[in-house]
Amino acid sequence: MFQVEGLAKSFEGFMAVNGVSFGIEEGELSSIIGPNGAGKTTLFNLLTGRLVPDRGRITFRDRPITGLPPHEICRRGIGRSFQITNIFPRLTVFENVQVAVMAWKRKSRNIFLRASRILRDETREILESVGLWDRREVLAGLLAHGDQRRLEIGIALGSHPKFLLLDEPTAGMSPAESMVTVELVQQLARQWGLTLLFIEHDMNVVFGISEKIRVMHMGSIIAEGLPEEIKANDQVQEIYLGEET
Amino acid sequence: METAMPKTNWMIRAAVVAGLMVLALLPVFMSRGSLSLVNEMLILAIAATGLNLMLGYAGMVSFGPAGIYAVGAYTTALILYDTQVPFALAFVAGPLLAALVSTLVGWFCVRLTHVYFSLLTLAFSQIIHTIIFEWYGFTKGDDGIVEIPIPALLEPIVNYYYFSLIILCVCLGLMWMIVNSPFGKTLQALRENPGRTEFIGIHVRRYQLSAFILSGFFLGVAGSLYCGFNKNVFPDYADMMKSTEMLVVCLLGGIYSFLGPTVGSIVYMFLDKIITRFTEFWPLALGLVIIGLLIFLRGGVVGFLSDRIAAARHKEREAPSDVSS
Amino acid sequence: MNLQGFVIQLLSGVSTGMVIFLIAVGLSLIFGTLKVLNLAHGALYMLGAYCCYWVSSSLSHLPGSFWLSLIFAPLMVALFGGIVEFFLLRRMYNREFLEQFLLTFALILIIADLCKLAWGVDYQTIDTPWPLEGAAIWGSLIFPWYNLFLILCGPLFYVGLWMLLNRTRLGRVIRAVTYNREMANALGVNVPLVYTAVFMLGCWLAGMGGALVAPMSAVMPGMDAVVLIDCFIIVVIGGLGSLSGAFLGSLIFGLVTAFGIMVVPRLAIAFGFILMMVILIIRPWGLMGKPE
Repeated sequence: MFQVEGLAKSFEGFMAVNGVSFGIEEGELSSIIGPNGAGKTTLFNLLTGRLVPDRGRITFRDRPITGLPPHEICRRGIGRSFQITNIFPRLTVFENVQVAVMAWKRKSRNIFLRASRILRDETREILESVGLWDRREVLAGLLAHGDQRRLEIGIALGSHPKFLLLDEPTAGMSPAESMVTVELVQQLARQWGLTLLFIEHDMNVVFGISEKIRVMHMGSIIAEGLPEEIKANDQVQEIYLGEET
Repeated sequence: METAMPKTNWMIRAAVVAGLMVLALLPVFMSRGSLSLVNEMLILAIAATGLNLMLGYAGMVSFGPAGIYAVGAYTTALILYDTQVPFALAFVAGPLLAALVSTLVGWFCVRLTHVYFSLLTLAFSQIIHTIIFEWYGFTKGDDGIVEIPIPALLEPIVNYYYFSLIILCVCLGLMWMIVNSPFGKTLQALRENPGRTEFIGIHVRRYQLSAFILSGFFLGVAGSLYCGFNKNVFPDYADMMKSTEMLVVCLLGGIYSFLGPTVGSIVYMFLDKIITRFTEFWPLALGLVIIGLLIFLRGGVVGFLSDRIAAARHKEREAPSDVSS
Repeated sequence: MNLQGFVIQLLSGVSTGMVIFLIAVGLSLIFGTLKVLNLAHGALYMLGAYCCYWVSSSLSHLPGSFWLSLIFAPLMVALFGGIVEFFLLRRMYNREFLEQFLLTFALILIIADLCKLAWGVDYQTIDTPWPLEGAAIWGSLIFPWYNLFLILCGPLFYVGLWMLLNRTRLGRVIRAVTYNREMANALGVNVPLVYTAVFMLGCWLAGMGGALVAPMSAVMPGMDAVVLIDCFIIVVIGGLGSLSGAFLGSLIFGLVTAFGIMVVPRLAIAFGFILMMVILIIRPWGLMGKPE
């Protein structure tokens, strides 16, 4: 479903991503992990259209999407979940998700309709699945940290993606919160039939739920396999241990 | 303010209707001089609300609304002065040309963000000012265009007042529709988080340009209206002081609410008239007012009022047994 | 036009540029470090000119009164700036851009009117100070000594500032804060103090610019507006936050305007804006700035 071939990107001589290739099957739940500085963020930005690669190809459902701008990539069915601060603080919870749904339904250009009257059911569905329907009238900026996280995912769902990339979704969370978040995402994936790709720093977060883990180090993928295999991999241990000291 | 309470909406609606009724009845008991002032205020309200489409709703800080406003004013002025074209057409031509110029200016400006965006809008506004100032043959430069003929029907101040009031209602009605539409909500999302908006499938620049053009259109309406009101136009319609006046009015009333700029223009005109009665140092007073606003009244007058109302509601809810009917 | 006229225009352009450099560089520094666009910079320049006039005329019985005022006037402006930064501007650092804009705009209104209040609306002049009266004569070229002095001041201040920023500890601290405020804070730098210092430096430079200009042109209300817009143009061309950019931008601006007046006098005012527009369109971060 999602194919990456020979992706590379450098900044002023520094090779942040160096020939990365992998493929993701539909329905798969996988992760890419790696220590800080491995190039995860750059890879992520390349996959979601924020950066244009120097080399390489990205294909989604057999159609090339390399170098397309973010809004085009979203249109093709690829969604992105950010880290916490990416919601719309002064809009209500309802509006936060609705605006994504409106964009998905191509209604955003319309100046004649009354926004509060359209797409209520679709928005409700999403809000209920992330458990925020009862707080729909609250201004998003006033939500608790954990709820803002759910809202963030809700916004991503609003675009009805087929493939969802999550960028360190548990950053800054306690282990308990992380677990809750990951379980929520897993459940949503089942409910909405999503293919998920986690990009994470902490291996333990994604260990339990990933079908496949790829490890990134210094711009390349150095290991790929089942979670147990990865955990047992000496090279991977070294990278992470090295980082801890 | 946590939630939008239905009762507050009802109150706001009632206030708006009452306000309109008052405005409609003013000519009955107000002197011509005062009516003229209120008329000016109405025009300022249109300009400020138009500016706020960009400023408060789309989050684009323009330093140069006056340039576009002047385009509207001068278009109508030149048509009325130099040709026999009827007023209605001349009046419509103003905002149309303003929108056209906004398209050109906006196309360049939306490629930039933050300070650079603002500075470019300033540069364009100043260029417009220079063109008007220097192109004597066409615009009569510094002398301005005076004694612009308007239809006899609109000559009496009362009539022009009602004309302005109607245009105000139409414009505000249109803008209200726009900000409550999907487009309006998307603009607000853009203001809140342009990065995120891109990732829900919105072509950010295109929407920003649309906001720029719509804003320009209504600024043009205000310009044309003012041209007819004053029956003259001058280059300083396009200068930075005028631009800042509009920005101050928006901030004064509150940029995050629809009626903020309108309230702001009322307060601004009040302050102007009251303060100039006591001192010639109006700029100094205005400067102090702005600073006071920034430090104490962050949401503008509207923000202040809605916070007060929300606080009062909160107290009500906490002591239900004390609420008297 | 002949060689003489050309040379005079050239010198004229450069001297204009060098004065504006002082003001523009202050604006650029303040933006670079504090990330605030100080609209009141033109008004501070005007304040400097008025202070210079005030000190100079109060001490007119003393020889070298101008040079004394050249010491005091910028200090007065710097002090004023420090007070403003401490009590008002500090609250604005985390606020939205529009609010910062309006605060600095309010300062323009206040400073301008305070000047009017203190010194009236008539324009004031200062005599060209000894030993710079009169003009240099070279063959058939006549150019005022004072303007030549101003041309000299430009590079002098440029070098001085460069040394300050690159060769002193304070300069290093300023650059650290400019580059990464959080990091500098974590390393123990008193960031608010640095902000105040940079702002005061910027004000000092603006005040110095105003003081230097006083003998050359009339000191009067409204002189702040023109200068401010010229400054914007220069910092855009040169790059907001860049010292060399401000210098280069000032030179370019001075020359373009001087020759513009020669070639198309009526549109000369617009030349600066057109240049600004072109830079913003093709290279928004200016000639010597860095893209963000």
